[in-house]
Amino acid sequence: MLRYLIRRLGQAVLVVAGVIVLTFAVMRLVPGDPAVAYAGPKATAAELAEARRRFGLDDPLPVQLWNYLSDLLRGDWGTSLHTRQPVRDDLFQAFPASLELVGAALIIALAVGVPLGVAAARYKGRLPDLSVRLSSMLAVSVPVFWLALALQTVFASGLGWFPVAGEYDTSLDRTSPLHLYTNITAVDALITGNWPILTSTLWHLVLPALVIAAYPAGVVAQMTRAALIEEASRDHARLERALGFGETAVLTRFALRPALNPVLSLIALVFAYSIVNGFLVEAVFNWPGLGRYAADSIRSLDTPAIAGVTLLVAVLYVVANLAVDLLQGVVDPRVRAR
Amino acid sequence: MRLHKRLLAAGAVAAVTLTAAACAGGQVRGAADSTPQPGSSEGAAGGTADSTFVYVPNLDVVTDWDPASSYSNEIIAMQNIYESLTRYNPQTKKAEPRLASSWTVSPDGKKWTFTLREGVKFHTGKPVDAAAAKAAIERTIKEGQGAAYIWGAVKDIEAKDATTLEFTLKYPAPLDLIASAGYASYVYDTTAVSGDLKKWFGEGHDAGSGPYTIESWQKGKETELTLKAFDDYWGGWDGPHYKKIAYRVTPELTTAWQLLQRGEVSFVQRLNAQLFAQAGGTDTVQTSQTPSFQNLLVLFNTADGPLKDVKLRQALQKAIDYDGLVAALKGSGVAASGLVPAGLLGNIPGMTPKQDLAGAEALLKEAGYGPGGKPLELSLTYAQGDADQELLVTLLSSALDKLNVKLQAKPLQWTTQWDQGKAKDPSKRQDIFVMYWFPDYADAYSWFVNVFRSEKDVQFNLSYLKDEAIDKLIDELPALTATDQAAAEKTYAELQNKIINERAAVAVPYVQNYQRAFAKSVQGYVDNPAYPNVVFVYDLKPGA
Repeated sequence: MLRYLIRRLGQAVLVVAGVIVLTFAVMRLVPGDPAVAYAGPKATAAELAEARRRFGLDDPLPVQLWNYLSDLLRGDWGTSLHTRQPVRDDLFQAFPASLELVGAALIIALAVGVPLGVAAARYKGRLPDLSVRLSSMLAVSVPVFWLALALQTVFASGLGWFPVAGEYDTSLDRTSPLHLYTNITAVDALITGNWPILTSTLWHLVLPALVIAAYPAGVVAQMTRAALIEEASRDHARLERALGFGETAVLTRFALRPALNPVLSLIALVFAYSIVNGFLVEAVFNWPGLGRYAADSIRSLDTPAIAGVTLLVAVLYVVANLAVDLLQGVVDPRVRAR
Repeated sequence: MRLHKRLLAAGAVAAVTLTAAACAGGQVRGAADSTPQPGSSEGAAGGTADSTFVYVPNLDVVTDWDPASSYSNEIIAMQNIYESLTRYNPQTKKAEPRLASSWTVSPDGKKWTFTLREGVKFHTGKPVDAAAAKAAIERTIKEGQGAAYIWGAVKDIEAKDATTLEFTLKYPAPLDLIASAGYASYVYDTTAVSGDLKKWFGEGHDAGSGPYTIESWQKGKETELTLKAFDDYWGGWDGPHYKKIAYRVTPELTTAWQLLQRGEVSFVQRLNAQLFAQAGGTDTVQTSQTPSFQNLLVLFNTADGPLKDVKLRQALQKAIDYDGLVAALKGSGVAASGLVPAGLLGNIPGMTPKQDLAGAEALLKEAGYGPGGKPLELSLTYAQGDADQELLVTLLSSALDKLNVKLQAKPLQWTTQWDQGKAKDPSKRQDIFVMYWFPDYADAYSWFVNVFRSEKDVQFNLSYLKDEAIDKLIDELPALTATDQAAAEKTYAELQNKIINERAAVAVPYVQNYQRAFAKSVQGYVDNPAYPNVVFVYDLKPGA
């Protein structure tokens, strides 16, 4: 197991290194001068020269790459051309809100997707199965941006059931100041017993989290269904039926646990995907997460910030992949032998 | 669950928690960080009922807090926190008193004496006197960042006494207009802190004298910034005023509109044409349309390539469907009249261009092109992602197709487009360059000196015009604007005739229009295009 762990960690480090080099190359290949983006279109030649010196843009490319790598190792992700702040600080400011939103979405996805998958498997080929397959296909294929706007227009603006935008009602800051420990509003509110902010945050989370949950819920439902059907055809299921267990009991008491293994592995991958998928949702619902930061960075051609977001997302993917691989390694010894 | 699985799950949870914990600063969010709803009430400066103006920008508010170098979107807040010596009035086309109550200029336009208002205090509690104003402007000049170049004409500043500030200039310039600039003209307390002033500003402090001061700044949050009334503001707080301003960043226009409709915000900076039309028909909302000081320039390459021939440039001017374009913009643009937008000295009414395809065809034929003649292929570059410019390109391509002219239009990021425009090798440059232009202070000189004066190394003269007679007239403008505005007006007219009609270096299809939507309860709002997107909240009255 230790050898397997070391091998996988080594591979993950190589992938991250590759992403860093690629990110650097893209930063330098993107047309346009970062010095102009920093100093502004009406900057004088002296101001541009100062910006070039400050960002080391006059150094040879290998030197720039070396500086970039060594800065990253020291925890310096560069300075944003747009916010003028360290990119790492900007990302740490924005990431917790994205984590909160995607975390809530994945909880919803599991809570909805698994029971739907079970129902579809239980009534395979009948109306519940067809409905689940159809709705999960719809959930997977509908564009999040459209779904976000539709839910916002109907349930927030039209019916007024939910807030239009925002993370929580910021007027509560006056009456119920929030102590920050993790920077994740809902978690901090829970830890400190700040019920007004917790309730408001959960209320604000409903619509954006539902939108982000649509894709993983659809995938989870389909995967649970397929895995359960496969498990239900195995020898142990025949034995359970012979012992007098009903079909629902066979599925939920015996087949569900082994069937959920691939689903849980999938969730780790879907997590990283949902962070990026959520960018547009964050824009629609004014969620103060990575999405807004990424959009602003792209709009202002802020290459260090774009690279920072890319790197963070890449690291999330790698970590998620690594977690899945390790999980599979733990569960299935054949994987370790490969 | 087996032990190793539990360990793995615990590890994952710990990793996520640690990541998040690393993000926490151990601070308290709230207390001073209040962000009330529009119209909300609480105890306030002067002890009267309070109300909050909630402004919805599309982009992050603050990039740079230093009043010396600030040159970005934060102008929407800075103009409510800081004040300049003067403020521009687009109705009178003149600078009006702000921190300076009056001023005089010497006959040669090189000595300006400003008399400062008495009894004005900075938010730091120190007095705003001539020495403080001198120190602020000198620091801005020394920093040399952002729009600090506006003070380029200044040779010396002297604080004659507490209220008299005298500027000696290297050459005549309209210093009253310069002092009204949206950026780099602020008067601030340079002694606000004994240490690094820039760092102190960067932490979200201010040292202005304006009606509002920073209450809270939360970078990256939805309500990024909240300002509160400065109790000792020289204008006083008698009568109805908004006592707080909250800036609620909302990138998505549909969301901004829904927030306004639900009464959660007071003012939306920008809506698209469809939403703006909808806002016009909504009872609880009012709208305003004002031409900006930003116009679109279609610059023709006068130095190289086929457009070196003035007939071809004139043909292109005539081929543009000006009316069709303005109609298609659905209110986000108005017809231009010359190079200088309305509201600025130098705007010439009656210069609105019209499409003339027959005229264009005749000119093309004279040059050997057009239907039945040699085919002509032209390259054009414009801003990627700009729907309005894309519209221009579509209409122009289709008009030129009929005239046997093929337009190779390339949408590019600004820096790429600009780099190509500045290419050392003239053959690598485009035939047509499309860009917006706006002045940094309310003076039309900006268009002429930057875009049409001869340049050794190309910066913004992207029509590559080199004309000594035009240069001479441009050089006369600052002195004339400072000393003889009627003569300046004539020179502006002459210049526009030369540049647009005789040399055909540019076509000006439209001036951008500001389309604002705001709550019915907001009273007294007037857009001032000299300060893009700024709402001078102190001047407004909160209604019921």
